[in-house]
Amino acid sequence: MAALLLPVHVAILGIALAAGWLPSDALSYERALDLVRHPITKVYLGVLVALPLYHAAHRLRFVIHHQLGLHGGRRLVAAACYGTALAGTALTVVALVRI
Amino acid sequence: MSVTQGGRSPVYVRPMPRTWWLRTRRYRRFAIRELTSVAVTASSVILLALLFALSRGRDAYEGFLGWLDSSGAVVLSAIILAGVLYHTITWLRLTAHIQVVRLGRRVLPRHLVLAGLLTLWVAVSAIVAYLHIWL
Repeated sequence: MAALLLPVHVAILGIALAAGWLPSDALSYERALDLVRHPITKVYLGVLVALPLYHAAHRLRFVIHHQLGLHGGRRLVAAACYGTALAGTALTVVALVRI
Repeated sequence: MSVTQGGRSPVYVRPMPRTWWLRTRRYRRFAIRELTSVAVTASSVILLALLFALSRGRDAYEGFLGWLDSSGAVVLSAIILAGVLYHTITWLRLTAHIQVVRLGRRVLPRHLVLAGLLTLWVAVSAIVAYLHIWL
């Protein structure tokens, strides 16, 4: 569900910013800090960044085993996929706590 | 015939060629949707990198915005955006297929369920954009 809101963020940060469609101070350091320091924004960002990692980890596991037909090393692949998602979650929490 | 010795009794596993997902259009579209998970991960990683840059102070943050402004980052973002849009829209389509919405005795037709979901998604995205940019 969190992944449903990724497109708007990619569009704003990846396209609109470089294309100059945003007001000049929209992503200024002060404004970004103000916004991200709000507790609701922190919870929102934590969910937005971390949850899609688990979704993608699960889907990529499926791709490796059933689409590419690599049936060996199931434990290793699972550990790599979900481990990356867990590491991403830990990094997200660290970044949000330090802001 | 391939047989795996999993539990007490042997289980027949139908052999599948590695290219089964190239066979029909439906399979290929399903495979593309699964592969766009890579774009989902990439979006999360970019947002995470932005948060990290923000936590490291003004120079790091403005440096990251400078990278987002580069042509390489724009091309990468365009590819990622195409991937996550495909992932999101196919998700809404499959939700409309699975979820039955009843109004009294009548069942809402699928295309109306899909239209409702798409409208909701666009509206929520617009609210997020508004809060992100102008609030």
